[in-house]
Amino acid sequence: MSVDNAPARRYRPPAPLGGRRRASCGGLLRRNTRAFAFLAPALIILGLFVVWPMISALRLSFTDASGFGREEWVGLENYATVFTDPDILNAVGNTLLYTVLFTPTAVIAALGLALLLNSPHMPFRSFFRTALFIPFVVSFAVAAFAWSYLIDPQVGLLNYWLGGLGIQMGNVLEDPTLAMPAVAFVAVWKLFGFYFVIFLAGLQDIPSSLYEAARVDGARAWSRLRHITLPLLSNTMAFVLIFAMIAALQAFDQIYVMTGGGPYGNTQTVVMEIYESGFRKLDIGFASALSYVLLIATLVLSLVQFLFFGRREKDLSS
Amino acid sequence: MTRMRSLLGAGAAALTLIGAGCSGGGDDGGPVELTFWHGYTEADGDVLEGIVDDFNASHDDITINTEVKTWDSIDDTLLTALSAGEGPNIVAMPAERLPVYASKGAFAPLDDFYADEGGNTANLNPGAVAMEEVEGTKYGVPSGFVPLAVYYNTAMFEEAGIDGFPQTWDEWVEAAKKLTVDENGDGTPERYGVALPDHATVANGLWPSLFYGNGGGIVQDGEAVIDSPQNAETLEFWRSAIAGDKISPTGLDGIGSDELFSGGKAAMTVGGPWMASIATENDIDYAIAPIPAGPETQAASAIGISMATTVDSSDAELAGAEEFFSFFLNDENSVKWSLGSGWPPLRTDIPAEAVAENPVVAALTEMSDLGRPLLPGVVNSVDVLSAVDELTQKAVAGEDVGALLGEAQTEIQNALED
Repeated sequence: MSVDNAPARRYRPPAPLGGRRRASCGGLLRRNTRAFAFLAPALIILGLFVVWPMISALRLSFTDASGFGREEWVGLENYATVFTDPDILNAVGNTLLYTVLFTPTAVIAALGLALLLNSPHMPFRSFFRTALFIPFVVSFAVAAFAWSYLIDPQVGLLNYWLGGLGIQMGNVLEDPTLAMPAVAFVAVWKLFGFYFVIFLAGLQDIPSSLYEAARVDGARAWSRLRHITLPLLSNTMAFVLIFAMIAALQAFDQIYVMTGGGPYGNTQTVVMEIYESGFRKLDIGFASALSYVLLIATLVLSLVQFLFFGRREKDLSS
Repeated sequence: MTRMRSLLGAGAAALTLIGAGCSGGGDDGGPVELTFWHGYTEADGDVLEGIVDDFNASHDDITINTEVKTWDSIDDTLLTALSAGEGPNIVAMPAERLPVYASKGAFAPLDDFYADEGGNTANLNPGAVAMEEVEGTKYGVPSGFVPLAVYYNTAMFEEAGIDGFPQTWDEWVEAAKKLTVDENGDGTPERYGVALPDHATVANGLWPSLFYGNGGGIVQDGEAVIDSPQNAETLEFWRSAIAGDKISPTGLDGIGSDELFSGGKAAMTVGGPWMASIATENDIDYAIAPIPAGPETQAASAIGISMATTVDSSDAELAGAEEFFSFFLNDENSVKWSLGSGWPPLRTDIPAEAVAENPVVAALTEMSDLGRPLLPGVVNSVDVLSAVDELTQKAVAGEDVGALLGEAQTEIQNALED
């Protein structure tokens, strides 16, 4: 093994400081009651607005409910439709394409900029950090409207500027091949600031002594990045990747605003289908079933990532 | 401990608040209060409010409270409101959205209201009434029915030396060619003869109008009829005019065509009465003409708005709502509403002179009988329209018309059988 690996392998985060544990049984009960009292407002809200709707949606997914009036038990019919309807399969394909376009781009952009702005030599560091985070604060719908105007073929500023340089962008949102990259780009622009901040926090958690030691051992920048920064960021990376992937699987806002799922259903994602089935076709039962399938798919994909990063973590610390 | 109790108290208070939000009003035979959701936000909104105020003033036992929302948000919130038992008693919505709500049991049937002479429904435009019918039962009362028409820039027509508006498709395309200007010869005209959207919003009415003109259609008696030689001919004809002769840009949607016309980049556009105000705002001298006749017939798809009563209403509330409908459709209010909203009168027995003071209404009234409802009684209009969108957009973009019609036929038939 090369010398470069050594510091990372030897490094172990310090164990958290243990509190004093001497509570008696009665004390514990009293403390638990008090803890629940403090948690109650949050638990009630979660229960009412998250857990209860989830249970309710699960029940609805086995019915032909429209949201009002009569509803009939249809068993697994809705779930069967999810896996056979060509529109849904098209939406699944689109969602996967969107995920592949969005996730790596957003994560790499966030990581790259975090590395750049973590360097103490960077001028106007705070300014850039704030500027990069601002899109995340803007509402998605507002960002989507702003971008649609910017790239509008008739009145768009971006088209006007690029036109001056002799570049014809055309009607991007009506173009069957460009529409999906366009909506994925808006999501990258909007969301990467959040991942960037998380990476920045992760970077600042890495003790500088490791870099100093590596430098003494003669490690170059690339080796330091590969053998110190990236391995020690793996927890952060796992978090960001899972979050980015979940965001991608739930793509809706900017698509609803910018393309409405068009052209020819080329940007129709699973969540767009859920919205359309539930609120346009009033088929709440089917929309619930589709939501559950999406939930389970998201859980499975997150779990796979957890396991992957968990194993890497184990490899690193053993 | 005090703190804990107050925390628990806060939780309980939150629950009580949530509970309180769910309770509804009673039905004790006293005066009835009705809520009425509509999306008339312009001058038409003021006139409607006026009619509601008059109604409230003349009916001691009924009060209607209106809630103005955008048409989109009515569609987005009606479902949740109804499922919470908090829906309005009367709701106005784009007519093609009525069948899906009606088929799911959201609206009360109005056949008895139509049978009653006092309802003022006897002389309603039959096209408008057709949009209220789902599987033989009427669920709504029209509040608007207007055929799509051509709005054209009279200054540009004069400049191009075109006298009189074209009467046939061929004349229409000829005129559009004359009006199309490509000064620098780069193949992209600076001004188009006409803005013909190939998908979304107005395109959903334009293409059916063109199909009708050549004797075709989309849905007939609950069956898909889009894959016909007539429709193939129509698509070929307009593709060659749009993509070949470049009388209109391709890939346009309804909003894009409004923008082209208001920006002086198109001499004609197809739309509804709102184009009149857009033209006025942009200082464009305009005139209105019916969509020229196709080889078979002259017809135009109509834009419609329906008012319906929801099943959240008690019998007394339903009776109150029907009372309002007949008030809305009486002689005086029919004229008032038409003049104020800029839409032609809904009743065919309103004489043309009654609305002559508003030239837009007068022009639209003359072509009222050309109007055909869009997909009446079709529950899954969402999928049908998206199939038509895909068909027209791909056809204009140059794909094989025969294959596209076959695909559209299958998709529409599937949507109808859903």
